[in-house]
Amino acid sequence: MKKLKLIPLLLPLFALFLTAGCQQGQRQEATDLLSDSLITADVRLDDDVIGEMISSVPNPVEMSALLQKSGVVYSQELLNPADNVNNYNTNFKRALNLGVYGTDLVYMNIYDRTIATLRYLSNVRDLASDLRVEQFFDYETLNRLSESSRNIDSVLFITNTGFDNMSRYLIDQGRGNLAVLISYGTWIESLYIATHVQTVPPNRETINIRIGEQKKVLDNIILLLNTYRQDPNFSELIEDLMRLKREFDKVTITYVYKEPTIEEIDGMVVLVDNSRSEVNISDEVITSIAEVVAEIRNKIIG
Amino acid sequence: MSEEILKALMQLFAIIAKQDVGLSVNEREFVENFLKQQLNESSVKEYLALFDSFSEAAKPKKKDDDPEKEKKPRLTSVRDSVKTLGIAKKINKTLTQKQKVVVLVRLFELVNSDKNFTPQRMAIIDTAAEVFNISKEEYNAISSFVIESQHEKHDFQEVLIIDSQEVANENSHYIQSPQLNGSIIILRVKSVDLYFLRYTGDNELLLNGLPINKQRIYLFANGSVLKQPKGKPIFYTDIAAKFLSDSSAIHVSFKAEDLGLTFPNGHVGLRDINLEEQSGKMVAIMGGSGAGKTTLLNVLSGIDKPSKGFVQINGVNLHEENELIKGIIGYIPQDDLLIEELTVYENLYFSTKLVYRDLSETEIADKVNKVLLSLGLYQRKDLKVGSPLDKKISGGQRKRLNIGLELIREPAVLFVDEPTSGLSSRDSENVMELLRELAVRGKLIFVVIHQPSSEIYKMFDNVIILDEGGHQIYYGNPVEAVIYFKKIDNQINSDIGECPRCGNVNPETIFSIIESLIVDEYGRTTGTRKVTPVEWANFYQENKKTLREQQEFDPLPDSFKKPNWFNQLKIFFSRDLYSKLANTQYILLNLLEAPILAFLLAYIIRYIDDPTSSIYVFRDNENIMPYLFMCTIVALFVGLIVSAEEIYKDRKILKRESFLNLSRSSYLFSKLSILFIISAIQAALFVLVGNTILGINGMYFEYWLMFFSLSTLANVLGLNISSAFNSAVTIYILIPFLIIPQMVLTGAMFSFDKINRNIGGGREKVPVIAEVMPSRWAFEALIVNQFVNNRYERQFHELRKMESLFNYKNVYYIPELRGFVETYRSREMAGEENTISADNIELIYNEIARENNSPLAEKHKIIFEDVAQINTEEFDMPLAGDILRYLDQLQEFYRLNFNNLNQTIDQRISQMVSTPEKQAEYQELYDDNFNTYLSRFARNTMAPLPLVRLGNRLVQKIDPVYLDPQDRRTLSFRSHFLAPNKNFFGSLVPTFYFNVGVIWMFTIIAYIALYYNALGKLLTSFETLGGRIGKIPLKFRFRKKKTADSIGPDKTIQ
Repeated sequence: MKKLKLIPLLLPLFALFLTAGCQQGQRQEATDLLSDSLITADVRLDDDVIGEMISSVPNPVEMSALLQKSGVVYSQELLNPADNVNNYNTNFKRALNLGVYGTDLVYMNIYDRTIATLRYLSNVRDLASDLRVEQFFDYETLNRLSESSRNIDSVLFITNTGFDNMSRYLIDQGRGNLAVLISYGTWIESLYIATHVQTVPPNRETINIRIGEQKKVLDNIILLLNTYRQDPNFSELIEDLMRLKREFDKVTITYVYKEPTIEEIDGMVVLVDNSRSEVNISDEVITSIAEVVAEIRNKIIG
Repeated sequence: MSEEILKALMQLFAIIAKQDVGLSVNEREFVENFLKQQLNESSVKEYLALFDSFSEAAKPKKKDDDPEKEKKPRLTSVRDSVKTLGIAKKINKTLTQKQKVVVLVRLFELVNSDKNFTPQRMAIIDTAAEVFNISKEEYNAISSFVIESQHEKHDFQEVLIIDSQEVANENSHYIQSPQLNGSIIILRVKSVDLYFLRYTGDNELLLNGLPINKQRIYLFANGSVLKQPKGKPIFYTDIAAKFLSDSSAIHVSFKAEDLGLTFPNGHVGLRDINLEEQSGKMVAIMGGSGAGKTTLLNVLSGIDKPSKGFVQINGVNLHEENELIKGIIGYIPQDDLLIEELTVYENLYFSTKLVYRDLSETEIADKVNKVLLSLGLYQRKDLKVGSPLDKKISGGQRKRLNIGLELIREPAVLFVDEPTSGLSSRDSENVMELLRELAVRGKLIFVVIHQPSSEIYKMFDNVIILDEGGHQIYYGNPVEAVIYFKKIDNQINSDIGECPRCGNVNPETIFSIIESLIVDEYGRTTGTRKVTPVEWANFYQENKKTLREQQEFDPLPDSFKKPNWFNQLKIFFSRDLYSKLANTQYILLNLLEAPILAFLLAYIIRYIDDPTSSIYVFRDNENIMPYLFMCTIVALFVGLIVSAEEIYKDRKILKRESFLNLSRSSYLFSKLSILFIISAIQAALFVLVGNTILGINGMYFEYWLMFFSLSTLANVLGLNISSAFNSAVTIYILIPFLIIPQMVLTGAMFSFDKINRNIGGGREKVPVIAEVMPSRWAFEALIVNQFVNNRYERQFHELRKMESLFNYKNVYYIPELRGFVETYRSREMAGEENTISADNIELIYNEIARENNSPLAEKHKIIFEDVAQINTEEFDMPLAGDILRYLDQLQEFYRLNFNNLNQTIDQRISQMVSTPEKQAEYQELYDDNFNTYLSRFARNTMAPLPLVRLGNRLVQKIDPVYLDPQDRRTLSFRSHFLAPNKNFFGSLVPTFYFNVGVIWMFTIIAYIALYYNALGKLLTSFETLGGRIGKIPLKFRFRKKKTADSIGPDKTIQ
């Protein structure tokens, strides 16, 4: 359905690309800085679809909140060291690690590590600035809010909306690849933290289930990355993720159907879905997933 | 007299004496007397014995030679001739020409003692004279001088006769001395510049205090005085004058008429001064303190302009046509004008060089040595002059050296301010004799003198006496002055000017008469003078002689042969260089200052950001921007300090040299070249040390050039204040005034966006007040240079610049612009009134017109054709729709090109980091050259707003370092802060070089101001103004007081 709806939208886009191409041909005489080699309309997911899929990637707040609720102890070692920011020289690396640091920032904020967040905040800003999307981070405000733990909600909100707006904007600007990378960075970092925190058995269970649920997300992410697979960097990412997928294939998710019931909530009639998914994941699988995730994640932040 | 010469003399005397008749009693007496004059009792005996032995020893031989003598009675024995020859030759080897002349004169004297002029004796003297290389003329002159007594026989150019009666000789000189008995004959031996004297009368004459023997011939040495029982003493200088005056000197007629001077503050310095003098005179200017002596001297010498009357030299107005006259006036101020770091010799040497263009090095050295000899400073020529507090030579020697500086040049008119102050009486007399000698040689000399001794007072030909308020109350002969005042004061013996016994004149008498106070009935002195200055002046007016009118004058001499501009520069330069090099402290301090400051600064701010690391990373150093700021401040400071006292220190020398009519620009250029060299070295040391410590990679030249340029500007500024202000303290107080505004308006400490709007804060361009701050240009240039030209950024700079532009347009600019139109549309659709303001329409028009005209518009061909319709009348919905479509199109263009460029850059970097080795290499390049914090500053990433509306324009605030100046009109040189390029007559020039150019332009302006001493003149006019303002209430108050209290003492106040 959705795809069909996109066709009329795509047409003017194509037209625009074509005209742009023409104009560039003429401009090339004047300046060779503006080469047209990069603007190529490739067969790929539509921008809107990409946007939808990106927003379906779970927000790092959820995972971090879960961890905190499960009584997981905060561990600084899990985070990408702040100094690494200097090693990210290409847009590819910057985007991925913007995601990574974004997750780290959220994680730290949830745990009230307000002082330590400042450097991560500045890293996020620097990377965003390098990617020329600095306008989505009101650094001044964030910096001010970070000074007190009472403002965590605001900080999280601003960060989240910042990331969301940034993704949307990048897609709008024809730089969806970066949006995908940022999103992937946030996700893999969340997964990494989740798979590497020290936990006590009862809580482990909830976390493991949440990890298992990522199986579906992973598929989406592979799909997203696949759109840009002509870029060797992307195909490398996909290769790595295929290994992770093999591990996730060992996870089974069974869908248990139950009759939906009609209930009245606050004077409104609501259909309540009583079905639920049951995630079946063994400790060995968790361990091997954790290993592969660590490998992939460390490659990204390295 | 040395032992050598004495021995030789004894031998020669003996040989002469033993001729013919042999030794006479007279001759032996002469020898004894002669020895007595030279030696003490015991030595006399010794030498006399020697003489006897020589003459005795000859005796037996004489007998042997008898037969021979019989044959040729008129010839001197060959043996004696040979002996004479031998002795004379021996003398030749040891004695100077002067001494030889003395010996010859003595020989004559010996013969003369007996009047026994046999041919044999004369032959011996002949032989000696021949061996001594004494010319025939001089020999004859000496011979007749010694032998003859008739005046007629002394008719030579080189003879001077002092007699009571006129001598009718054609050639010889004559001085009349009415009370003299007999006559004094003086011979000048020109080749050696010696004077001999003999006296034929019976008076008790004293030569330098010793009685004169009629028989004898005396050497009349430099500075000698011949005193007679009555009448004026005869000075060496009087004698020398007779011989020298007609030689080379030009005749100068000096005249001052009705001179008056009123100071800017209203005080009267001089009133109606009249005088008329000729070459060869020495004139004293005297008066109580505050009478205006120095003021008069300054006006007469042309330093100050009189407010009334004129001064003429040979009919040329000194103050109006000073260019014609300058070279012939010399001025010796009261203070030293020696260069303390130089030696006595060097001081004279450079002065000589400045004055004589044509002389070779050896000629100059000769001249200097000659002057040193005549000053009696030859022995001390290699001593450093030293400061008055750290004396190396005595006060008298300093003073003599000062005079020597003028002496070398021999100006026709010389002004001397208190030459004897602070000197011992012996030194004073030496100095005055030196001046007297100059006068004798045909110079006209004015001397301000305070409490002269009788001796000195009598040296003057004329004296001008001034009284309080600049009244001239006497002008004429010094001894007469005493009589004049005594007469007016009705004193007894008023017709006697000098002490009848000792011949002393007490000039103090004059002042005690002039300034005597009224005594009240209790015998106490009141504060009121017996005779007021006005009354004294009136007395003088009644008695004064009218000045003679001279219509014809000698032509003024050409200005002395000063060197050309470049040679002057060379001389000034080497003089300054030598004096600086002689000051080790100065050299050391200046050489070490910069590197030590650089080390302190750089070492302190070099830090490692990462607490866990021990490796310094340039990229992480937050202090690079402050370092650049400090660079500019240090450059200014160092430059100012090194130069601030330069001219001030030289001011006395300059005052003197202003009479030499030397080129001010070559003086200034010499100063500047030395300062520039110092600055260049300091800049190099600073940059080398500072940049190396901080790890600023490459770009040493650019840093050096900027530091150097700024330092040199500071040098010139320093010279400006140095030449304008009159005390060292003022100069140092001023330095903060020059430095602090520059610190504030550099753009480093306070952003130009965040300073007072009244002085241009928050505009598009740098505030005008900051544009005149050299520090701002330097700092901007350093920042832009560091950001743009570092090895990392320069690979990407052009791409990033475009990327930044596209990003700005796409992300901020077009959406903002669209906002105005969309607001209009939505309001219009909602049917509101006043949907858009005229200002907003104008803004839209301005911006779209600008986009249309931008160089990019030509390339992308996205042009809004109907731009003319964007005005208050024609702005409507369809047009708004067109504008929005146009903006969409434009934004799309920018967006695509941004993406394009962004990816191009990214690909480049990706290639640079494709392998781990390359990645490391890239990382190193990045870490060593790029500075995060400097980049943030240069890109203004902390700007609260990426763009602001200023008037009806949108102005970009982010990425200034990527933004070329927007105002590209030909004559618009100003731009926003940190622009990478500057608009220069419509084309773009890299900011660094543009700013260096601006700083040099400042330097040139400052130099011109310096050349004309603009600051000094400005200050003087302020002072004049201040003086006038200050004067009014004072007068006002005074008048009021007078009306209120009319019984007050009847003072005459002018």
